[in-house]
Amino acid sequence: MFFVVISFSLLLISGCEQQPQIHQQQVLALGTLVDISIYGVDDKIAAKAVTAVSNKMEAIHHDWHAWQPSKLTYINQQLAAGSTISLGPKQRQLIQTGITLARQSNDLFNPAAGKLIALWGFHSHERPNGAPPASSNIETLVNAGARMSELILNDNQLSTINPAVMIDVGGYAKGYAVDQGIDELRRMGIDNAIINAGGDLRAIGDKGGHPWRIGIRHPRQAGVIASLETRGDESVFTSGDYERYFKYQGQRFHHIIDPRTGRPAQGTRSATIIHRDASTADAAATAVFIAGPTQWRETARAMGIEEVMLIDATGTIHMTEAMSRRIHFEVHDQPIKTIIVP
Amino acid sequence: MTRADKVVIVLAVLLLPFLYIEFWGNRSQGEVVLIRSTNSEDTTLPLDQDKQLTIEGALGTSIIDIKDRQVRFIDSPCQGKQCVMAGWLNKDGQLAACLPNGVTVQIMGRDQRFDAVNF
Repeated sequence: MFFVVISFSLLLISGCEQQPQIHQQQVLALGTLVDISIYGVDDKIAAKAVTAVSNKMEAIHHDWHAWQPSKLTYINQQLAAGSTISLGPKQRQLIQTGITLARQSNDLFNPAAGKLIALWGFHSHERPNGAPPASSNIETLVNAGARMSELILNDNQLSTINPAVMIDVGGYAKGYAVDQGIDELRRMGIDNAIINAGGDLRAIGDKGGHPWRIGIRHPRQAGVIASLETRGDESVFTSGDYERYFKYQGQRFHHIIDPRTGRPAQGTRSATIIHRDASTADAAATAVFIAGPTQWRETARAMGIEEVMLIDATGTIHMTEAMSRRIHFEVHDQPIKTIIVP
Repeated sequence: MTRADKVVIVLAVLLLPFLYIEFWGNRSQGEVVLIRSTNSEDTTLPLDQDKQLTIEGALGTSIIDIKDRQVRFIDSPCQGKQCVMAGWLNKDGQLAACLPNGVTVQIMGRDQRFDAVNF
């Protein structure tokens, strides 16, 4: 009978060990809903970590806000006036990252084109429905050709040779903030976590030996189109035409502006990137989206990205071989056309 | 085989259904809906009682519908209507948010399939 009692006790103990130890919390930060999952530390430490991450992200959001008075709007005023500005180390780092990513993307990712984004009305929480900007205004800005390579960054001194340059870090600030959030978690001794900022995320470690499982939302219907398991330390970022847009006369105008045409990029519904750091993944998702179904592979390669999935305007899925090995489709009731390239 | 051995075997077999339900059973069905608004107190409602309710947010009124163990935004005073387009939520952890209005709706518990959703 003693043996029976022992057997039951063991079963109950193993039952207790099966309970998930994931602390999950949502905070409003970066103007979006940030979902933080932390594995393997007690709830008090996890809650403290969530507050620290949230504060860090909010500080970045305020410092780099594109249209509310911020350190960035000050920098842009000075650049427009032809002045030279002294940057702090963090500011210098973010601007330098933007210059590098823009160069790698052959300026498809162009944080210097803030004036175009503003012209389209996306420097607001919600762009009201209404007419798109006049073609003449768009052409003027495209011809002004604002590029990150026209910024001059000597040590901490920033200036530009082109007064049309207006920096908008919207294309990689979320990634930067997620990276900073992950650094903050690591400083607090947390090695297993996900920071998901409004659908774009970086996952580190795992949950007790099991990888984090990520779903990728379908760009045209409710639910998930594919899933993947993260390995060690990876970011998963998607740029989609469904995220921000306005309508005019039955036509939808989304927020991802092609700097070559000055208009919303055509041909892509969504572009998903897996890469280690979130800043690069964020910028690459934008650049690959703009590059479109014919040029995406080249752009990804130039930016050092191996795992890419692009869903084009017809719903065909283009992806790298490396990506095809990582994802599992979760849609089984309809055929999916895929094109896999090396 | 002693009598005690037999007892253990019988008890182990009897335990199986319990263990199966506990660890492999379908836990994707949510039990409650948590509705948060920047302008009012959090509201928690059972998912199995059909109800339509109005929530005051930063811009105006969001209308939420709970029906057949599912929940959705019917309307919200935002431009993009992402919250309405999110459609029915019916699994643990699923969330729809009207950020302009500061209203979120979530089925509480963990989604058994994914730790996070990318979009």
